[in-house]
Amino acid sequence: MKKRALMIGISLSAIAAGCASVATGPQAINWDKVPATKVALFYPGQSSYQWLRSEAHAGAAKETARGDACTSCHDDPKEEQRQGAKILSGKHPLEPHAAAIKGKNGHIDMTVQAAYDDKNAYLRFQYKTHNPNHPGNDYPGYRFDGKEWKAFGGMRLNKNVLAGKTATVYENRVNIMLDDGKVPGFAQQGCWLTCHDGERDMQKEPTKDQVEANALMKAIKKSDVRKFIPGTRTNPMDWSTGKPLEEIAKMKANGEFLELMQWRAHRSDKVGGADDGFVLEYRNFDAGKNHFNSNMDSKTKLPKFMFDQAKAGTKAYTAGDYGKKEMILIKGANAVPFDPNAGWKEGDILPQYILSAEDAAGSAADNKALSEWKNGVQTVVFIRPLGLANADDKALKPGGVYNVGFAVHDDNMTGRGHHVSYTKTLGIGAKADITAVKLN
Amino acid sequence: MIKTNMYALIVSATVGSLCLATPALAQVDAEEVFKENDCHKCHHATKAKKGPSLAKIAAKYKDKKLDEKEAMKHMTGGKKVKLDDGTEEDHKIIDTKDVAVQTAVAKWMLNR
Ligand code: HEC
Ligand code: HEC
Repeated sequence: MKKRALMIGISLSAIAAGCASVATGPQAINWDKVPATKVALFYPGQSSYQWLRSEAHAGAAKETARGDACTSCHDDPKEEQRQGAKILSGKHPLEPHAAAIKGKNGHIDMTVQAAYDDKNAYLRFQYKTHNPNHPGNDYPGYRFDGKEWKAFGGMRLNKNVLAGKTATVYENRVNIMLDDGKVPGFAQQGCWLTCHDGERDMQKEPTKDQVEANALMKAIKKSDVRKFIPGTRTNPMDWSTGKPLEEIAKMKANGEFLELMQWRAHRSDKVGGADDGFVLEYRNFDAGKNHFNSNMDSKTKLPKFMFDQAKAGTKAYTAGDYGKKEMILIKGANAVPFDPNAGWKEGDILPQYILSAEDAAGSAADNKALSEWKNGVQTVVFIRPLGLANADDKALKPGGVYNVGFAVHDDNMTGRGHHVSYTKTLGIGAKADITAVKLN
Repeated sequence: MIKTNMYALIVSATVGSLCLATPALAQVDAEEVFKENDCHKCHHATKAKKGPSLAKIAAKYKDKKLDEKEAMKHMTGGKKVKLDDGTEEDHKIIDTKDVAVQTAVAKWMLNR
């Protein structure tokens, strides 16, 4: 098979129009000269760690449990395409809501390129958004109901959305999970190691009370179950068997965790960021401050910021503006402190998050990103500093080869509603499925 | 190299339409039926997976002078198969009862 894919020639200088220094830095990379690898992502439904080890994964439970690579069996050139279509067919148990998301694409063909210089690694992704007419940068808001500001909107699989009680709205995301060889099984089974029954929107989802009563969850102050690696549980088949915090801390110190970087069309894009997180006993953010922060004051139950009328032309939006106007609140650009006496009307909507490049700090602010959405094609370039020494980071080094898995949340999806790739290898100047080339 | 026709894109016949009447064999896309039934996940063209490769099966049948009737027994009987590690498992049963389709799949397998 031909690995070099046809290139869509969007140069980064075009993407960076509006950014400061165009002549140097990542904006100047000529991506036409960088090899492109086609990676297929498919819609996995609820194919959890547990399902994959059950009799429902007919003829493959034992092999998966003993650690065989997914692609030792799933290696047809059109495998991802077939699997995604099958899961969404309406006849497959892995997607109980297939009818509600009818028309969803089963797979995504993504183009991946990589480069590096003395300072950074640059990872570039391109894929066609399922909606050719919208960049997917809307996000649920807080809606004023005449008395209170209440959460409004949700992803396609959200209970209230499925029940027709709220609008379908969520941001697109491009995600990278990366392992430097320290997480047993990741090279063979990739992202599927972190996907478990009991997590949000998966089978056997526990109630909030059940989660909060669990020893590990109590210790880390969480009320839902999110991605984790099997080693953090005494019985990896059961999310509720968390190991003591000291043991989990030891795993982290030994580097037994996964890097997770996410570019978000709403919550990080406009401030040039991509979040920096890690998967261990939970899907954690790195230490420090993210590019986005809650726009809800937990004490007053009022938003913290509203749009600056002078700059945005309005102080709030309404439900009808979704899909038509850009409703992104950015500190220092179009936001002013919320005024409770500004004459709020029922139906006014403010964003749930306030963005700030300046406020982002510490390890959580390591990653930067550039993006462009044009002619229905989303391009994202992650900029990841080399050699990070933070306790919650995987250091990328020239000569290093890493196991990576990619995911895309597209067309109003979050949580499990993404498309996911089997594992690939990424080499920083070293031979791999995706080789980052040295820039000079 | 793997035979390129193995990967040719043919979208003509669907399994559903095949199950009507008795279509001419030529219209059966055996490879598509084979893959729709997940057979390819255990039987690769040349590589040993959980099941023997198509090349190996074809060679064995040639050697032992077996024909598609024998192969059809394997895809319809749900018989126990012996695995490398000594354990046994029920073999996958193809999802069509149409003998013409089964014959086409068996012939396709044995022609690898
Ligand atoms: C030993 C071979 C084997 C291994 C290893 C294996 N699978 Fe499968 N997988 C199969 C077979 C065979 C089926 C079809 C089962 C059925 O529906 O009869 C399947 C089905 C699936 C399905 C449902 C959609 C479909 O294609 O039928 C998903 C999703 C899946 N596998 C994902 C994975 C992932 C992820 C891994 C690695 C963690 C994996 N598999 C490892 C053989 C394998
Ligand atoms: C879960 C893995 C798996 C799947 C899926 C699978 N097979 Fe098999 N198949 C095997 C194994 C293992 C053998 C037995 C090898 C042996 O006994 O030497 C076998 C044997 C066979 C044989 C007999 C070969 C011989 O030596 O006589 C045929 C024919 C066959 N399979 C066809 C199919 C078809 C058609 C499908 C899809 C409907 C299919 N298989 C799906 C694992 C699988």
